[in-house]
Amino acid sequence: MVRYRRLRVPRWLCLSLGVATWILLSCSLLDAMAPVQRVALPNGLVVLTSEEHSLPFVTFKLLIHAGARRDPSGQGGLASLTARALLFGTLKQSMASVNEQLDFMGASLSSDAGRDYMVLSLRVLKKDLGDGFKLFMEVLSQPAFPADEVENEVTRTLAAIRASEDRPGEVAEKAFSKALYGAGPYGQPVIGTKESVEKLTVEGVRRFHGSCYDPNNSIMVIVGDIEEHALKDTIVPQLSAWKGRAAAVSAVETKPESAKKTVMIDRPLTQANLILGHEGITRDNPDFYAVTVMNYILGGGGLTSRLMQETRERRGLAYSVSSNFDAGKYQGTFRIVLQTKNASARDAIRLAVAQMSRIRTELVAEKDLDGAKKYLIGSFPLRLITQDGIAGFLLQVEYLGLGLDYAERYPKLVQAVTAEDVLRVAKAYLHPEAYILVAVANVEEAGFEK
Amino acid sequence: MRRAFGATFILLPVFLLLALVGSSAAGLQDVVSEAVLPNGLKVLLLENHKAPVVTFQVWYRVGSRNEEFSKTGLSHLLEHMMFKGTETIGPGELSRIVQENGGQHNAFTSTDSTTYFENLSADRINVSLELESDRMQHLMLREQDFKTERPVVMEERRLRTDDNPKAIVWEQLDAIAFELQPYHWPVIGWMQDIARLTVDDLRNYYKRFYNPANAVLVVAGDFKKDELLPRIERWFGTIPKGVQPEGRVPLEEPQIGERRTVIKREARLASLVIGYHVPNLRQQDSEASQDSYTLEVVEALLGSGESSRLQTSLVRKKKLALGIGVGHSLLSKDPGLFSIGADVLPDKNVTDVEKAIDEEIDRLQREPVGERELQKAKNQLEAGFIFQQDSLFSQAMRLARYEMVLGWRAIDGYLPAIRKVSAADILRVAKQYLTPDNRTVAVLVPLPSTKAASRLPDSRAGEQAIR
Repeated sequence: MVRYRRLRVPRWLCLSLGVATWILLSCSLLDAMAPVQRVALPNGLVVLTSEEHSLPFVTFKLLIHAGARRDPSGQGGLASLTARALLFGTLKQSMASVNEQLDFMGASLSSDAGRDYMVLSLRVLKKDLGDGFKLFMEVLSQPAFPADEVENEVTRTLAAIRASEDRPGEVAEKAFSKALYGAGPYGQPVIGTKESVEKLTVEGVRRFHGSCYDPNNSIMVIVGDIEEHALKDTIVPQLSAWKGRAAAVSAVETKPESAKKTVMIDRPLTQANLILGHEGITRDNPDFYAVTVMNYILGGGGLTSRLMQETRERRGLAYSVSSNFDAGKYQGTFRIVLQTKNASARDAIRLAVAQMSRIRTELVAEKDLDGAKKYLIGSFPLRLITQDGIAGFLLQVEYLGLGLDYAERYPKLVQAVTAEDVLRVAKAYLHPEAYILVAVANVEEAGFEK
Repeated sequence: MRRAFGATFILLPVFLLLALVGSSAAGLQDVVSEAVLPNGLKVLLLENHKAPVVTFQVWYRVGSRNEEFSKTGLSHLLEHMMFKGTETIGPGELSRIVQENGGQHNAFTSTDSTTYFENLSADRINVSLELESDRMQHLMLREQDFKTERPVVMEERRLRTDDNPKAIVWEQLDAIAFELQPYHWPVIGWMQDIARLTVDDLRNYYKRFYNPANAVLVVAGDFKKDELLPRIERWFGTIPKGVQPEGRVPLEEPQIGERRTVIKREARLASLVIGYHVPNLRQQDSEASQDSYTLEVVEALLGSGESSRLQTSLVRKKKLALGIGVGHSLLSKDPGLFSIGADVLPDKNVTDVEKAIDEEIDRLQREPVGERELQKAKNQLEAGFIFQQDSLFSQAMRLARYEMVLGWRAIDGYLPAIRKVSAADILRVAKQYLTPDNRTVAVLVPLPSTKAASRLPDSRAGEQAIR
C-alpha cells in the first residue's frame, strides 16, 4: 500500500535560493499524496509544498508559535485576540476593503490561535492565486490593529465567553483544564476569561504581535494546484521578505494537579456532562503508539470501544462516551467525556472507572489488540485526501518533528505494539485512583453531595 | 442554517474528508454512470482515481417527513437499530467488521432521507457490499436491543436539543412555521413519542420503506465501474423487488399573517430566528424554477462572508449581534424555509436586531443590487461549488440529494442557473417571499439562572469542591 517515490530536486529552489539551507526529503506518504518538498528560507521559515492539480484551487496554512501558552500573566486571551485582529485591516487598507476583495474571489481567509500556536489559512481559486496570496502576506506582515476594531472585538469576545456558558460541554472543558493546570497557561481558556479579556488593549496586541510573530520557527504549508513557476516567482519571494524580531519560544512551567479532585457546577440541565481525567503524555513520548492502541480499546474506538459497549450498548446510559489522550508538544491530558441523564451520572462514573481499572489489570485479548491495530493502520489514508486534510497533516508532521516519512513509518509503529505494551502503558498512564471529575449537572438530581 | 440533516448516529464528528472528483469543468453527465437493477435499486457510480479509497452510501427515501403524528422519531430510531445486527451479523458486529477493515462508518437521518455509509480503502469495498445488502433485507429487530437503544436516543435528544437553548428555538420555529407539512416535527422526534414507539412500529416501518425500489446506492472513488457494477448486481440484485411507497405529504396553505413565538429559557444571550416560506425546486413549474436559485444568491448577499450585508450591518456597523446566519435549503423535498438568525449581544435589544434585519430585507426589495455585489455573490457560490468537490464524500452526497429531489443530472444546471440570476430577479423574489405576512419569528428570551451556580457572571462561580 505504501510506496516510496524518488523525488527530484526542484530547480526553482536552486535558482532562487542560493543561500538557503534546505533539506529535501523524498516522501510519498501514501499513494494518495503527491510528493512533498521541504525548504528552509533564509528568514527561518520552513515551507512544505505538495502539488496536486486535479482541482483548480490552493490551500495555504501558516503556523506561528503564537498560541495562548505565550499569553502574559493576567492577560489570558491575548494570543487569541491578536490572531483574530490580524484580519482587522492593514497599513494599506481597511478591514472592509480586505473582506470585500476576499469575498469577491470567493476565497476564505481565517486566523485563529490555539493553546500552542496560531494558524493563518487561505483557500483560494487558482485564477485568483496572485491577488489572494498578496492579501495573505499583507495581513501577515503589515497588520494595522486599528484601536476601534480591537475594542469592538474585546466586546464581542466578552459576549462569546458569556454565550459559551450555555454550552455545558464547554463549561465542563474549561473547568477541567482549570482544575488540572490551575493558574498556569494551560489552565486558562484560550479565548480568556471575563476578567482577563476586559484588561486587553490594542497596545497589548501590538506588543504580542511584535514579540511572537516571526518567520523563524514558523511553518508554511502549501497544497494544491500550484506550479513551480508560481512558487518561484510569486510565493517564495514574498515569504522570504517577511521579517520579524520575535523572542525565542521558551518553555512554560506546567504543574498538573495529581490529587483526586471533584468540581461540581450546578445547572438546571437534563443531563450530567461529565469529564473524568488527569495528566496524559506529550507527543514525543515513545509510548505514544502503545497509548493510542490502548486508548482505542478503552474508549477511542467508536462503538466498539469498551466504554461504549458498557455504557451505551449494554445499558443505554449515554449517546456519547469516549476517551482521549490529547498529546501535545508540551503537555498532555487524558479525558473520558460523556453525557447521561442526571440520575445515571453516578452509575456512568463507576462504569468508566471500572474500565480504566480493568485495562490496567487484564491483558487485552489478541483479537481486540489486532482489531485496534487494523483500524488505526487501515484508516490512516482517509486522513490524507482533501487539500485541507493534507495541509493539516503536513503542518503537524513538521511542527512535531515526525519526519516526512511519518506516514510510511506509522503502520510499523502501530504494528509493533504488544498486549504487554498495552498493559504496561495502561498501568503507567491511567490513574483510576487519582482523577479529576468535573460534572456540569443538576447536582441534586444527579445525587451528588452538595 | 436550518439543519437539513438532523441527527447523526455515532458521536464523533466523522471526517467527511475524502478525495475529489473529476474536474470542475467537466459536467457530471460525463463522469457519473447510472444503472437501475431489475428490483428497482438505483445505482450511481462516480469513478475517481486520485486516492485509493471509496465512499459507499446507501440512501433510503425515508425520513421524518414520512412519519405521522404521535409516531415522530421513527425514522431516526430505526437508523439506530440498523446497527443492531441481522440474521447473520450479530449485534455490534457490523461496526467491528467495518473498523477492522480500516473503515469509517456512520449514518444520518434527515427530514427527507436516511443514509448509511462507509469510507474505506478501495480494496475493501466488499465489506460494504456484503453488510449493506444484508441489512437492506435481513435486519433483526430484537426487543432486547430496542430496550437499550431507545434510551440512547433519548440521551441524544437531551444532548442535542433539551439542554441547548438555541436548538429549542429552531425546533420551535419549525413547529410553528409548518402546520400541515411533516417538517412540523423534529427529525429526532418529540420526547414523548420516542418513549411511546414500539419495536412493532419499527418492524412495520422497516418493511414498508427499506427495499431496493426505495433506495439509491452511490459509490464514489477508486474503482472501475465495469468491474463494480456486476458485483453490486450480485449482492443487491437478489433482494426481492419492493414497492416505493407513496411519498406525498400535505403542503402548507399560504400563510395569512406573521406568526411569532417566544421561548423563555435560562440562557446568557438572547437570539432570534426568522423563517420565510419559500418554494423548492421540485414544486415549481419551469417558469418559476429560477426562484430557488435566486434565493441562493440572496442567501449569499445577506450572509456569506465578512462583507455580506447582514454581517456588515448587524455585526460590524450597528454592533447589535455577536453573529448572524442565513440559510436556504435548496434541496429539500418539500418546500422549506429561508431563514435568518442572529445572536444578540448582551445589553442590546432583540427589537433593534429585528429592525436592522428588516431594513436589509426592505433594501433588497427597493434597490436593485449593484453589478459588482451581484457578481461577488455569484463568485462565492461558484467557488463554494468547486471547493466542495475536494471531498469525495460530499460529492457523493450531493449526487444523492439531487437524486432525491430532481434527479442527479440537475446538478449540471446549478452554476448556469446561478449565473443567470439578475438584479431584477432578486427584487422580485425578495418582494414575493420575504414579507412579514409570510414569516415566522422565534425569539429566545433568556431567563436568569435559577441555580446559585450561575448567578455570578464569573466563570468560576458555582464550582465547589465536594471532596
